[in-house]
Amino acid sequence: MIEKGKISGLQMAILLYPTIVATAELVLPAITGEVAKQDMWLSPIWASFFGYLSVLIAYRLHSYYPKETLLQYSETIAGKIPGKLIGCGILFFLLHTNGMNLRDFGEFVNGNFLEQTPLTVTIASMAFVCALAVRGGLEVMARSSQIFVPVFILLFMFIVVLLIPALNPGNIAPVLGEGLTPSIKGALVPTQWFNELFLISFLLPYLGENENGLKWGMITTTLIMITLVITNLLALLLFGDITSSFTYPIMDAARYISVADFLQHVEAVEMAIWVTGMFIKISVFYYAAVIGLAQLLNLSDYRPIVFPIGLLLISISMWAAPNLQKLTHFSSTTWPFYALLFQMIIPILLLLAVITRKKFSKTQLS
Amino acid sequence: MIWRNRRKKGKTGKQKALKPSKQEQDTLFKHITENEDQLRMIYQDCSDVIFHAFTIGGNHQALLLYIDGLSNTEEIDDSVLSPLMTATESDQEQQVDTLIKNKVAVTDTKEVHTFSDCVQAISAGKPVILADKSSTGLSLGLSKWEKRAVESPEAEKVVRGPREGFVETLSVNTSMLRRRIRSPKLKIQSIEVGRYTKTSVMITYVEGLADNTLIEEVTTRLNRIDIDGVLESGVIEEFIEDDPYSPFPQVLATERPDIVTSSLLEGRVTILVDGTPFSLVVPITLYSLLQSNEDYYRRFLMSTATRWLRYLFLVIALLLPSLYVALLTYHQEMIPTSLLISMAASREQVPFPALVEVLLMEVTFEALREAGVRLPKQVGSAVSIVGALVIGEAAVSAGIVSAPMVIVVAITGIASFTIPRYSTAFAIRMLRFPMILLAATLGLLGIMLGVITIIVHLATLRSFGVPYLSPMAPMHFYEMKDTMIRAPWWKLNKRPRLTGKYNKYRQSSGQKPDPIRGEE
Repeated sequence: MIEKGKISGLQMAILLYPTIVATAELVLPAITGEVAKQDMWLSPIWASFFGYLSVLIAYRLHSYYPKETLLQYSETIAGKIPGKLIGCGILFFLLHTNGMNLRDFGEFVNGNFLEQTPLTVTIASMAFVCALAVRGGLEVMARSSQIFVPVFILLFMFIVVLLIPALNPGNIAPVLGEGLTPSIKGALVPTQWFNELFLISFLLPYLGENENGLKWGMITTTLIMITLVITNLLALLLFGDITSSFTYPIMDAARYISVADFLQHVEAVEMAIWVTGMFIKISVFYYAAVIGLAQLLNLSDYRPIVFPIGLLLISISMWAAPNLQKLTHFSSTTWPFYALLFQMIIPILLLLAVITRKKFSKTQLS
Repeated sequence: MIWRNRRKKGKTGKQKALKPSKQEQDTLFKHITENEDQLRMIYQDCSDVIFHAFTIGGNHQALLLYIDGLSNTEEIDDSVLSPLMTATESDQEQQVDTLIKNKVAVTDTKEVHTFSDCVQAISAGKPVILADKSSTGLSLGLSKWEKRAVESPEAEKVVRGPREGFVETLSVNTSMLRRRIRSPKLKIQSIEVGRYTKTSVMITYVEGLADNTLIEEVTTRLNRIDIDGVLESGVIEEFIEDDPYSPFPQVLATERPDIVTSSLLEGRVTILVDGTPFSLVVPITLYSLLQSNEDYYRRFLMSTATRWLRYLFLVIALLLPSLYVALLTYHQEMIPTSLLISMAASREQVPFPALVEVLLMEVTFEALREAGVRLPKQVGSAVSIVGALVIGEAAVSAGIVSAPMVIVVAITGIASFTIPRYSTAFAIRMLRFPMILLAATLGLLGIMLGVITIIVHLATLRSFGVPYLSPMAPMHFYEMKDTMIRAPWWKLNKRPRLTGKYNKYRQSSGQKPDPIRGEE
């Protein structure tokens, strides 16, 4: 195996949690609010079903091929050439999505904090830091996120608690005023964020012995769901109908905080949350892409390709979209379906292929 | 190339390479004159080696060799020379070897058969007696040299706790450990490092607590070292580290026997080096570097509070100047308005941007500190007065730096003094400068990225196989008792997992004092 490190179930959860929450936390209320209106807090719950499904599929596949990642067993299942093609597709998807993540990050920082700095500089510096983590390997990433995630959660709680006095519970009514449809429609984009949990298939083979991958996968999904519901509720109770008109509702919520004329402008805290979260998210995608490529090409070590792929990621992030509006448009219209193919449909097809083959060979034997 | 081949052969190879005379490896000769010639050749131009020829009981020729200043001459006169020289007629019938053994009143004696053994014994301060018609010499454990008295360690002061520190003499140091851990399970293995200095280095551990693979690893890493000489344990430290390029120390250097004792009891291994009071403890974690031994002697609530204070000031020592630069340069809106106005007012006179101002002050401060450390005490105080006046008063009133800047530098300086280990404080002080530059280029984002890089680096680090950030990452909730807080002693039932996994429990549970229990 290329990766020699082993991680624990807790570490896996702590890597995956920010991978989903980081992006979602900032823009989720705006995206879901547009269609789901006052029912937007329900959307993450519907979306989480896809998360559970994704974990389940990855786990089933993992139980058939316990030592292999998605790219490796796709080759075993589909045959050499089709397997490699699927692998190429998944790799492209990983790189593209990660490029979009990087761009998201860059646009956020440049739009809110460093107006004058060139976008490339922010993106490249982040990519470099992530490359360092990926080069360190899975254990290093897991350990660093064990330091960051508690801070991440604490800071998030900090903002939530400070906002409580400003909340207006009346904004939530009428619950399900127009039936279930709006909230389900609003779940479309979050669905694909939850489906990003398919990345678990890159981590499961490196789980230490006696670790329950499925249990931790489910715990992660539940925690993500709870966090996203809180995020949406927060934005809804604070802003009501106008939530969707903000680009980053939680960011603006943080700006709103002012305690005793001293504790104000805590958007720095929000940025700290976002940067650490994005760091883990980008690293996990980055890691999956790097280890995937190394396995696709049967390399003996993945370290030499870390920096070249980083360069590629920076370029892809620049090509991903001409501006933030186009990027948001793409990621809320085209991307969900595009992501569905790689994150859900391909794994399902692979799983079905395995199951039918197993059944077939069994009947043949008897 | 030849050199390298020889090195592979190990110790004997090394000695051969050093001393070209092949004769030396030979066993001692029968005749004392031949022996004397040979030894005089070895110790050519060594005026401190004393060759004392005498006769045993007026009959047998004998030679006593020792190095002036390394051996106890009074003891030699009283317990060696006088009994031998006054040997009576009846004694003459015995063999000369047995005669010497019977007459010499010294506890620690050892037979030597080769010249190299002789040289080794003499160099260690043990006088050697050679007698005519015998190819066996006797080395006597009568070494004695000037040593510094045991004093309170300068670099690691405590309010409450033992006041004695290690000294430069290895035997004194081992005796201090032996006094603290009386169990025979305390093992002290000795090896020699240094081609010329032949410094003795002791690997100390408690059998049954320390991991055997750890002991082996320490031994192999020490045996790998092939250098001219060990000047201080710092030299050894650089040879046995896991990541030699890291700014963070991966070995704990301490001159306090109580710290070494507690480390040994936690299953760690200590390396004692002759000639320096600083011993090396491995493996360590970042958190153990942020702890002081006094944490364990004070009331636990106080210790917990102190630990948190230390963690807070660690962050301040690393980040305060860069936060100041980032806020002033990029994020003025985050400073509360009234504070911003007063800061702007005080910066009005200052001709430099915040970055230059910070670098100017920080570099000056570091220079002052370095000057203060090197100078003699009397001059040192003068430097600090000048520094305080120049930095604190003149620079501000001359309008070169602003007053808030002075406060920032002062707080940072104090913060770096709160870190109990000097070497850790050094790493933080050094990392402060790249952080300032990052803050000046990318603002808060730069600081975040810098912090992430440092943490990723720390997550990569290992000290003898133990992750540097444990027990935070990888996370072990039980051990948070001794990192996040300092739980009371009766709660610290388990040893740290990564060093003490073979002998998990260090005390029986349920020892919380509860005087009411058992009555009525």
